[in-house]
Amino acid sequence: MTGGRSLFAMPLVVVLLGGAILPLVILAVISFWSVDFDAFELVPGFGLASWREVLGSSTYPTLIGKSVLTGFATAGLTALAGYPVALSLLRLPKRWKSVALVVLMTPLYTGEIVRIYAWRLVLGTDGLVNGLLMGLHLVQAPLKFILFSPVATVLALVYDELPFMTLALWIAAERLDGRLAEAARDLGARPLTAFLRVTLPLTRTGLCAGALAVFALSAGDLQTPNFLGGPSGATALASIDNLFGTAFDWPTASALALALLFALTVSAALLAMAILRLGGAVRVRP
Amino acid sequence: MNRRAVVILALATAFLYLPIAVLAVFSFNASRLMAFPLSGFTLDWYRSLAANTKFQGGFVTSFLIAQPVGVASAALGLGGALALVSAHRSIRIGLAALLLMPFLVPKTVLCIAQSMVLARFGLDRGATTLIAAQTIVAVPFTTALIASVLAGLDHRLEEAARDLGASPWVCFRRITFPQIRPAVSAAYSIGVILSLADLTIGLYLAGRTQPLSLIVASEFRRELSPDLNAMQVSVLILTAIIVVVTEGYGRLRAVCRRRTAPRSPSLASTERVA
Repeated sequence: MTGGRSLFAMPLVVVLLGGAILPLVILAVISFWSVDFDAFELVPGFGLASWREVLGSSTYPTLIGKSVLTGFATAGLTALAGYPVALSLLRLPKRWKSVALVVLMTPLYTGEIVRIYAWRLVLGTDGLVNGLLMGLHLVQAPLKFILFSPVATVLALVYDELPFMTLALWIAAERLDGRLAEAARDLGARPLTAFLRVTLPLTRTGLCAGALAVFALSAGDLQTPNFLGGPSGATALASIDNLFGTAFDWPTASALALALLFALTVSAALLAMAILRLGGAVRVRP
Repeated sequence: MNRRAVVILALATAFLYLPIAVLAVFSFNASRLMAFPLSGFTLDWYRSLAANTKFQGGFVTSFLIAQPVGVASAALGLGGALALVSAHRSIRIGLAALLLMPFLVPKTVLCIAQSMVLARFGLDRGATTLIAAQTIVAVPFTTALIASVLAGLDHRLEEAARDLGASPWVCFRRITFPQIRPAVSAAYSIGVILSLADLTIGLYLAGRTQPLSLIVASEFRRELSPDLNAMQVSVLILTAIIVVVTEGYGRLRAVCRRRTAPRSPSLASTERVA
């Protein structure tokens, strides 16, 4: 009875082939075309002009590198914040765990634009952070550099992706045999050593899944840097959007999009490999 | 449950709810300026929201768009999940790779590529394209959710039903589906929530349709006004109501079923005891 059920996936496969794969193939085809700017028309053909423009410039590769760095930074920071939270969630009594899951996931229900908007209220010149700092007389004038800076972008991205990372680590840690870390402690390991040698290696599949999700979502976010990053908010995605919408340079937009996708895929694969190689304790099957 | 764990969880909750709390506080603040210290309590922003037909129209549009997205992504996800847990290894890997595409490719890139396809084939953008694109982004989540529940089911129940002469359809309808019903309704909620929360897809594929997130984004670019706070808080509450009602309805049905027909769902537990 097993084989017959694969047919049920047909509608899904058709939708994904038509809605996700076909557009990416068209994107690849158009990246070799050119634009006749006098007639304002795309000219089909095979040329490498747009690829040369993307890879030969200094701006685009830098922007692609910045996307990759943003993804790595967000993945690293959410892992740093997510581990203590996930390991604390483990200690909750069982009936509180379902409540904790709702508490953890509810902020994700708020829209992209709502979250960005709320961070402006928190970080702005008259915002919560400056209000507190001034109220405590720690600063005389409001700090203007918090909002519209890379700090604001990364903070908002960490906020957006923390639930995904925490959930992945939590699920992995629930499967972990808690006695292993305790045994390490009993045998004299410091808390940090016990974490690095026992808990971290044994939860690396969860860390890998969480890191990949966070990397993809944060490196692929246009709106957060755009609305919160100020002058630092220029991203490869914003350039693609500009080339596509304003400049009508579809071939260059396509080539840049594919170059970005390639860089993100390679980086994500390297990240996954690095995490899965984390050594330490030997996996013990109960 | 030690003290450090309590402190960590309290800090995490505070961080996750800080922006939402600030929004809520300013929505009752008696000043046009959104600045600390606060100026007093008012319901003016909610009153002006009640008079704002543009926002209301946007919310109705968003809600009407979200329903088909929820239904389609739950249905496609159910089909995909059934194949994902039972098909041959090669089909499973191919399907998983296909599902990862809309998740890993940045939404901006995917939407621009979809816009190019629509433009090349001379198709208009509007509610239909928006629903389709939002469904594509939602299916990786819904499929994974339903598949994770399906994978945990006791296969012996289905085998027993087939041995006793049930057709594949009856077996699915009477044995498999009742067990995964909560996951399917959760998948519907996820589709609705992702659709309501979306801005990026709307920017490219909404055409002349104006869902709420697009209206908010254009207001947002002009100025920050306090009735936006009131509206964000209202949207949050309405989203929460949708989630609670759909989940609650599913649970209620499950409870009623258990009361009227106590024997069939408890089969798994009796077997485990034996």
